[in-house]
Amino acid sequence: MRTAVKGIALNTFRESARNKVFYLLVFFGVLFALSSKLVSFLTLGDAMKVLKDTGLAAIHFFSALIAVFTGVNLVYKEIEKKTVLNILSKPVSRDQFIFGKFLGLALTMLVALAVMAGIFFVFVALNGGGFDPAIALYFLMLLLELLIIVAISLLFSSFTTPILSFIFTLSLYLIGHVMWTYNEFKVVLKAPLWRGFARFLYYLLPNLAKFNIKNEVVLGTPPGAWTVLLSILYALAYILALLCLTILIFRRREFS
Amino acid sequence: MPRRLLAVVALAGLLLAAGAQNRYDAVVDYFGDRAAFVSLPSGQTLKVLSFGFQNLAADMLFIWSIQFYSTYHITNRFEFLERVFEVITDITPTYKEPYIVGALIMVYEAKDIPMALRLLDKGARHNPGDWVFELDAGFYCYKYLKDFARAEAYYNRAAAQPGAPSFIRRMKAHMVYLRDDPQAATRMWLDIYRNAESTLERDSAFNHLYQIKAENDLPLLRDKIAVFRGRWGRWPDALPDLVRPGLLAALPRDFAGNDYIYDPQQGTVTAQRIFRWKKR
Amino acid sequence: MKALEIKGLRKTFRSNFMLKKYRVLKGIDLEVERGEIYGFLGPNGAGKTTTIKCVLGLLNADGGEVLVEGRPVAAIDSRRCVGFLPENPYFYDYLTARELLTFAASLFDLPPPAVRERIGALLHRVGLSGREDLKLRKYSKGMIQRLGLAQALINDPDLLILDEPFSGLDPIGRKDMRALIFSLREAGKTVFFSSHILQDMEMMVDRVGIILDGVIRRQGKLSELIARSTQYYEVACTGIAEGRLAQIQSNYAVRDGHYVLTLASDADVNLVVESIIHNDGRIIAVTPVKMTLEDIFFSEMRNGQ
Repeated sequence: MRTAVKGIALNTFRESARNKVFYLLVFFGVLFALSSKLVSFLTLGDAMKVLKDTGLAAIHFFSALIAVFTGVNLVYKEIEKKTVLNILSKPVSRDQFIFGKFLGLALTMLVALAVMAGIFFVFVALNGGGFDPAIALYFLMLLLELLIIVAISLLFSSFTTPILSFIFTLSLYLIGHVMWTYNEFKVVLKAPLWRGFARFLYYLLPNLAKFNIKNEVVLGTPPGAWTVLLSILYALAYILALLCLTILIFRRREFS
Repeated sequence: MPRRLLAVVALAGLLLAAGAQNRYDAVVDYFGDRAAFVSLPSGQTLKVLSFGFQNLAADMLFIWSIQFYSTYHITNRFEFLERVFEVITDITPTYKEPYIVGALIMVYEAKDIPMALRLLDKGARHNPGDWVFELDAGFYCYKYLKDFARAEAYYNRAAAQPGAPSFIRRMKAHMVYLRDDPQAATRMWLDIYRNAESTLERDSAFNHLYQIKAENDLPLLRDKIAVFRGRWGRWPDALPDLVRPGLLAALPRDFAGNDYIYDPQQGTVTAQRIFRWKKR
Repeated sequence: MKALEIKGLRKTFRSNFMLKKYRVLKGIDLEVERGEIYGFLGPNGAGKTTTIKCVLGLLNADGGEVLVEGRPVAAIDSRRCVGFLPENPYFYDYLTARELLTFAASLFDLPPPAVRERIGALLHRVGLSGREDLKLRKYSKGMIQRLGLAQALINDPDLLILDEPFSGLDPIGRKDMRALIFSLREAGKTVFFSSHILQDMEMMVDRVGIILDGVIRRQGKLSELIARSTQYYEVACTGIAEGRLAQIQSNYAVRDGHYVLTLASDADVNLVVESIIHNDGRIIAVTPVKMTLEDIFFSEMRNGQ
């Protein structure tokens, strides 16, 4: 049982690791992070802040792109090219397949982020900056965000076409970063029905802004331990729910 | 795992996430801790960063600012007010509401009329042919700055725009009256009176003309009555008594063509209708 | 216990908006004995692949029962002793043959040291030794098919399900595939394979099931299906005057300079042969004409229409 999940996970990782697009995205993430040096030439005063701001923004942007791209692409290809038949015709349950896929995608994101984060820290050090544990905390939060994105893309891939999964996942990612606007909506919305609906959506849709602590971290005001803990708890619970839903849907899926 | 258990776990996960979110919201003050005014990029930068979605970016910032400026417990919320609306209107200079609403916030919340006028000037600059900015600016000048000459200039420009409603001309005439130029005001009101397109406009012009004339005539009459009493030691019996000794060349009548009302007992003179537009 | 038992299997596909129903399987009944080669014959679109996918749990049947080695499909373990080669298989083209087989083995929970040895042997067996470490995107269609067979055999299955195993193979590949299937039977395995090509079947299957339009029309031992169906006899002769021949039997044709008579029963054969010899004729051949699988197939198809 366990080796099947492990096998699927490792094979998923290997697929990314041998995919040119994946390398290209990691490469561009690194390139843009390094080009923050150029931007820092344009500023006066605290060049290190600009360097960190731009570098973290580049890593955030490209890692999110990798997550959406990889998440949608890997599952879609497996179904579209019918390699999934070779797996599910063996004693492997649908649950194991989904779980293995998620672990493989998680490993992919971990490695991609580790590479970019490592280069970022070296780059900061080369420019005379010290190691900032708060930035390491940001990378942890970013990883949680990426895992949620990957789980979302897995959910959509389990029942819809890749182009739709891509659009849905990307939309949820963008929406997830402005969910806090609900705090304003709830003041304005008077009708109880609309209020309830907004409230339902607020708690149902992924709320990703809490993982985006890069601004606070660079300004030297990292979030407190309690909010970090709540964020981690949120990520784990949300991913668990997504995986269960994906498995429920994927169990009913037919491969004709 | 059986299907029902999976569904229960999925639901439990969502509820747990919602709970964590709820606790998180209780800790984080979105406007206090995370207000991003300090690092709000310029309109130019935002235009680039919005990747072609500048209308959406402006909308979001605008909507957000409305909420923010009506959150009353934040005491220093006006610190970056001008900057916020500068950015919004930089991104979409022809989007009218932010100018209007921004000026409203500046006048009524922040009580900074010159700031509002700067914003409205910018709106007028970017939206030639539109009278609303100058109309609002004129009103703020009149109402809060009591700068009638400046208000007149605003109304003048607003009235010159195509399709400007007629009441702007009346506002302008009123400003001229308020800045103490009854002759010019009379000329303008007469023009409005003669070219009135509605009875409302006509009546309004009539009332203003009546008032201006009365305000001109009554002090004159009172002055001459005082002279009469000084000379003859008594009040004149009737107003024509002022003409006969040559104190007045002719007896003024009110704008409706009626005589002013004279009380020979008290020596007071009044108009048939009295309007009182508060002056200053 | 049968290797595979299908009873009343039904499957309906729906069009995109659930408006139209397509009844693909209308009650399939078939049994595959252990240790035999079973040919699953039918034209394209008859429901062969759908049946196979229901057996492997890739499709959920609407009704009926499928037992693989006595176990229902819903049990994931029913696939533990099954090997499957899909039609026109595709494998991750970024892997090498060895990596693919290692991955396939991991899905069966096989112990790694045994796996390494087995992979080498399998690659040799399907004729891919020397290409183990080549990326699959460089493989030809025939090589992929061979590799597909190797991955189907990774767990040393008792039942092998092959969907159109001969499609896309060159003559050498077909010969190798045939030899492999025979060797599997010799090793005591059951082979269930589908094809729409009759020649594939005739030369190798023990039993055949003919599927047409979602129903099994005939099932049985190939020898029985054919033995039962001697249709007529042909008598070829020469040296007899045509006028005499017409008196004996009006139903004849001329083929390669011989007269060929078509006779319905063996009783007629005796009589006719005697008469021909009596009239100075020479008998060249007496042939009982049996139905070929093709004839059976086409007659079923005609009945179906």
